[in-house]
Amino acid sequence: MNDEIFLNERVVVEVLFEEGLNICRPLRFRRPNGREVEVTELGLRHPSNNGLKTMHIFDVTDGGTDYRLEFDSERLTWYLTREADHYAA
Amino acid sequence: MLREEYNPEQPLIMHIDLNSCFATVEQQARPQLRDRPVAVVNRRTESTAIVTASYEAKAHGIGVGMKVKEALKLCPGLAILESDPPKYRYVYHKMLGIMKDYSAHITMKSIDEGIIDFTQTSEAIRSRGLADIGMEIKHRLKSEIGCAMRCNVGIAPNRFLAKTAAGLHKPDGLDEITHENLRATLATLKLTDLTGIASRNEKRLNSVGIYTPIQFLDADTVTLKKIVFKSVVGEWWHQRLRGYEVDDVARTMKTVGRQYVLESHSLPRPVILQRLHHLCESVGGRMRSQGKVARGVFVYAKSYDYGYWHARHMNEVPFFSNQAIYAQAALLFAGAPSGKLKEIGVTCYELEDGLGDQLSLFGDQLAREQQVTSAIDEINQRFGERAIHAAHTLAKGAFLQPKIPFGSTRYL
Repeated sequence: MNDEIFLNERVVVEVLFEEGLNICRPLRFRRPNGREVEVTELGLRHPSNNGLKTMHIFDVTDGGTDYRLEFDSERLTWYLTREADHYAA
Repeated sequence: MLREEYNPEQPLIMHIDLNSCFATVEQQARPQLRDRPVAVVNRRTESTAIVTASYEAKAHGIGVGMKVKEALKLCPGLAILESDPPKYRYVYHKMLGIMKDYSAHITMKSIDEGIIDFTQTSEAIRSRGLADIGMEIKHRLKSEIGCAMRCNVGIAPNRFLAKTAAGLHKPDGLDEITHENLRATLATLKLTDLTGIASRNEKRLNSVGIYTPIQFLDADTVTLKKIVFKSVVGEWWHQRLRGYEVDDVARTMKTVGRQYVLESHSLPRPVILQRLHHLCESVGGRMRSQGKVARGVFVYAKSYDYGYWHARHMNEVPFFSNQAIYAQAALLFAGAPSGKLKEIGVTCYELEDGLGDQLSLFGDQLAREQQVTSAIDEINQRFGERAIHAAHTLAKGAFLQPKIPFGSTRYL
């Protein structure tokens, strides 16, 4: 089975806005426990709408663990909502 | 007019298929899952059925429809993920956008497959060659969505053969079927490899000595029409196999429905009615989003003890509100067998556009109901699904999450 952990952590994110296909790319983020995570790959960025409100979902990895970051475009806040570092072997 | 020769026209139909779509998208989003067996389910329980399996999972014998419990026996390391509709919807719209860059004539068959009709495109695009365009689309999927995205491309003179071509070299193939290689290609396939030929049609064909696609191709129309399919369908197959278009038909919306596998077989009847009510809200929302009203309600239940049960009711006056659908569904459901139920479903049928002009004795009441329903729909569109819903279904959202319907792109 999948050992995914569901979270709701407010995180500090360093993001690069650039030209090209991925115009907004998280580079690293800091969790409330002080741990810093270096993003090595942006898997997929997709919007998720709840009514007129848009959340931008960033599925990223640090090379060993997959994370889901959510950016609330209305409140301009970032949350870490999922972590999966141990998919069943 | 029936044509005996194979269609010699230049192949201008392209079928694009993201096989194992949901699993591939998950592997794209979660890099640690790439090259690993992945299954996507609609609900994360052991008794639920698999909606999509990755190619790595398929290599272990895991397929669509298999129960999670059985799949884990075949592959204990299988990663089970719950489906994530916004993610798949995003990929669908990206794929659609790419396809629209090449032709105005696009038909999406489902969330993961679509057809580009090049017959009316400019000479500049056609002169490039469809194989070249197919390669470009594959490349664009990788660069615009992600490097793990793969698709199958099939090119042929008609939709059926284009889909057949797209299935020849999964997961990343590009094949073309023309009148020149038609026989050689069909010779490599089984009857059930052909879209539309499952076990029932296979038996029908077998009954007249047709065991291979080549024998099917060589069969005369009279046999197919009068003996095998006993209708004009036999003639369609005769033409379809030869590369002539018979499937370019716009399908109208006839029903809208949703079903739900109960999370437990020991749920008391009042709780099952709450789930039914929630289904009715979901069906009502979908129906109104397409500007339709209904005149019929169909309800079914699958029971452990009594098998399949269903009931239906046709109304003289069209209806559209969630309350009206549930009122009728609940009345019908009162006749459902007692005992343990495992699945329920509700469908609205006899759909019509809008409310129609026919005057009714209940005109004022209908107008009021329409205004209230429209106001609720508007609020839900603005503040999110189920911002307003019946108190009866309060806190039941966890059980009936919005899911991607198969075979229809109407609600995407």
